[in-house]
Amino acid sequence: MKKIVFICTMCLSFAVSSNGQSPFEQRRLQLLEVASVERERGFQTVTAKLLAGRDREYALTMLDSLTSDEAIGGMFYSYSLIGCYLHTRVVLPDSLRKKVRSAYRNRTMYRGDTENHWVTYYTGLYLAAQTWPHQDGTEWFNGKSSSENFQESTEWLNHWIRMSARIGQGEFDSPTYISVFITPMLVLYDFAQDPQMKRKAQMMLDLLFADFAVEHLKGNYAGGHSRDYPEDIVNPLAAPSTFWAWLYFGEPEFAPWSEARFRPRHRGAWEPLFGAVSSYRLPDIIYRIATDRTKPYVQTKTKRVRNIIRFGAEKNPPVFKYTYMTRHYALGSLQGGILQPIQQHTWDVTYASGKPYNTLFTLHPFFSGKELAMFFPEEQKFLSDEVDRYHKVYTNPNKWNSSSPYEQTFQHKNALIVLYNIEQGAIHPHIDGFFPKNLEQRVVDKSGWIFCKAGDTYMAFFPLKPYEWIEEEINWRWRSHELKNGAVVEIGSSTADVSFDRFRKKVSASIPLFKNFEENLTVQYTTRMGDRMKFTFGGERVLNGKHVDFARYRFFDGPYLQSEYKSGIITMLYKGSKRVLDFNEVSITE
Amino acid sequence: MASRLLVILLIVLASGILFGQQETLYMTVLNSRKHRLGARDNPTVGLFVSTDAGTSWQHRGWRGYIRTFYSEVGPDGTIWSACGNGVLQSTDNGGRWRIATGWEITEVLKVKVDPSNPAIIYAVTAYGIFKTIDHGKIWYEKNVGFQNPFTSDVLVDRSKNLQLFAATEEGVFRSRDGGDHWLLAGLEGKGIRTIVQDPKDFNKLYVGTEDDGFCLSGDGGNTWNRSNEGLQHRTVYAIAVDGQNSRTIFLGTHGGGVYRSLDGGKNWEQKGVGLKNLDVHSLVTLPSNSQTVFAGTLNGGLYRSTNGGESWEFNSQEEAQVWGLSVR
Repeated sequence: MKKIVFICTMCLSFAVSSNGQSPFEQRRLQLLEVASVERERGFQTVTAKLLAGRDREYALTMLDSLTSDEAIGGMFYSYSLIGCYLHTRVVLPDSLRKKVRSAYRNRTMYRGDTENHWVTYYTGLYLAAQTWPHQDGTEWFNGKSSSENFQESTEWLNHWIRMSARIGQGEFDSPTYISVFITPMLVLYDFAQDPQMKRKAQMMLDLLFADFAVEHLKGNYAGGHSRDYPEDIVNPLAAPSTFWAWLYFGEPEFAPWSEARFRPRHRGAWEPLFGAVSSYRLPDIIYRIATDRTKPYVQTKTKRVRNIIRFGAEKNPPVFKYTYMTRHYALGSLQGGILQPIQQHTWDVTYASGKPYNTLFTLHPFFSGKELAMFFPEEQKFLSDEVDRYHKVYTNPNKWNSSSPYEQTFQHKNALIVLYNIEQGAIHPHIDGFFPKNLEQRVVDKSGWIFCKAGDTYMAFFPLKPYEWIEEEINWRWRSHELKNGAVVEIGSSTADVSFDRFRKKVSASIPLFKNFEENLTVQYTTRMGDRMKFTFGGERVLNGKHVDFARYRFFDGPYLQSEYKSGIITMLYKGSKRVLDFNEVSITE
Repeated sequence: MASRLLVILLIVLASGILFGQQETLYMTVLNSRKHRLGARDNPTVGLFVSTDAGTSWQHRGWRGYIRTFYSEVGPDGTIWSACGNGVLQSTDNGGRWRIATGWEITEVLKVKVDPSNPAIIYAVTAYGIFKTIDHGKIWYEKNVGFQNPFTSDVLVDRSKNLQLFAATEEGVFRSRDGGDHWLLAGLEGKGIRTIVQDPKDFNKLYVGTEDDGFCLSGDGGNTWNRSNEGLQHRTVYAIAVDGQNSRTIFLGTHGGGVYRSLDGGKNWEQKGVGLKNLDVHSLVTLPSNSQTVFAGTLNGGLYRSTNGGESWEFNSQEEAQVWGLSVR
């Protein structure tokens, strides 16, 4: 009887809602519909089928297979399995419920070595221990009792939430891994029985979405990133974050799965299904913040470097982010240097466009076993090759993501100076720039500026040193082999500059000064708005004669999102509305 | 006839038990070159045990990747494994396992049991040293005095109660109070990968370093000297000392395979015949037969020599990262 009521309720809500609810409801149901016809095996598609009342037998066969296959396990398996189970247990036969239970007894559940691994591992363990309480260690893969597992998971989740709300995430603003922070928090919000934990999950979801919202531009996750994959760096809308933007912010306007060129390539592409079936609702203020681009603004953030275990004086030094957002483009940057291993994306301009590859940036393709050994405990001479096995491009001279000790930035609004000071003898002694081929214009001006136009966005790029162009499939690779090097970037738009020609004229009137650069590594530049920037590699950043002090950075600072560093209080503002997340009191006020 | 068979059977069983009790090898496989993310046919990794000098190996415990670096057995027979998930413990010879640590302890690179007290265990981690005195129930952080807590190895001094030596990224540190306080003992600023004590002369201590080769102390850790004559590969991951003749020392190096000294570490000679992978991360000699030496490589599996390191033959775990070896 319970099952029949459940199925009828689900199908009824499915049918009624389809008749036209809010745009979010429509997208949610659209996602549920599409995921429910997916044939590929996965916990999200099983959930979709069972909740939509479609292909029940096939879904049960899928779940049976997923719980029988001993080759799979680990942290992603754990939280997805319990999420699927808790959403669908009412309609599961006893035999499958037992198989789900036994997975937490018999499987190898690796805790992993990254922040997202631990969030998924402990969310899975928390909910499993809550679901099957009062059982001794023989019933669990790790030999610990239900209460021990519950306590350990609670402690770590509290630790992570406390840290993330005060000094930021180590895997911050990742267009890929945002999925595996949002999804476990959705499941935790839906099923944690402890009201405090449920509230914390809700507050973390608000924080994750607000953090994304202030750097969101038409489905793109703009700004500097940690843990960014090359395919997404050069084609930002291909990232999994686009799926979340579509579901919660309604942008881009097309569904991510509907256009092959934008389809997320990552496994687990259906993770947002847990959003479609969740009772969590995005606060309207976050939606407004994510989509209102009528006025340009600056957003700064402080994040943290993931745990440095050796070769560093500080375990979690701060990361300083700066993003300038307009309706047409966003220019964003991190301060530079090694801020996380393997997949750092230090700066770019991302522009709103109907075309893919809507970005421009430069990097130094650094790699080093010692860099990896800062973050991983294995031997430094072994790590580069090992990382290359999983992240195929780590040692590649042509890679499009990199954390380099030889790169630093200074940004002010729509202008940025990026400098390079590459050591003699460094591997890959060059810098590369990504210029998409589908730019409407790419003009090398006699003044030394390179001007690019993409729709309403105008980009000016001034290389300090000689360079070459290398033609590739989707882009021109701008490459310079000088070790002491850099570029000045200024971005404009049809709104700010009326026309591309006027933009070119204004910018070309200002030439960066870099006399004796080989000795002083200093560049001065006056933007077309008259702001004077002076930047020395390894030295000062000076704006209009005043020293820019990162120590004064707040946790969040911008018109829509504010917080003092280490305060644990996050304030969202939009016109007359306000929403305050107080992680000290575990409260939300509006 | 039946009684004769019974006697033979008893002898075989008895010798097996005795052999097993006296000499069991523990091989810890971190990962394998054959491992592929998300693949369904990944090789089994983790702990492998041999009671017949490496002729055969049996897997024990978790089969999947949890980043198992090293395993060791205490005097009471408890198996301890150093893992990414924490410290794993089995009191039934690998039948059932329990993670003995909580979330605070992770990236455990080695686990060392106090030879005089099986309830005292040291977990050597990327975040420093943790100690239990009650067989894994409660763990205490023991990092006072370290400049940087990252630690690769710890040595429990068999000659002095409560004296420990730690292999850190900043040199060799010594504690005289069971880990409560640490002081730099030597090789300041050097990355120390491993530290061992001479089985005969407890005043002799040997360390392997990152880029600085082999170093030794002849006075119980008060002074240290490099000793790299003939050692062309200066990153030393592993050291094994012949239990019967401690003037014979083996080194496992990065890129140079195995080196051997026959004069207590003064002169070194490369011993790589048959060794197809030259990144040797673990070494062990058999106490009962010091001519038998095992070398665990990074991505080449396990090799065995039966002639004191003169030549090597592949033994087990093709393309595996044999991160740790121990014997009891």
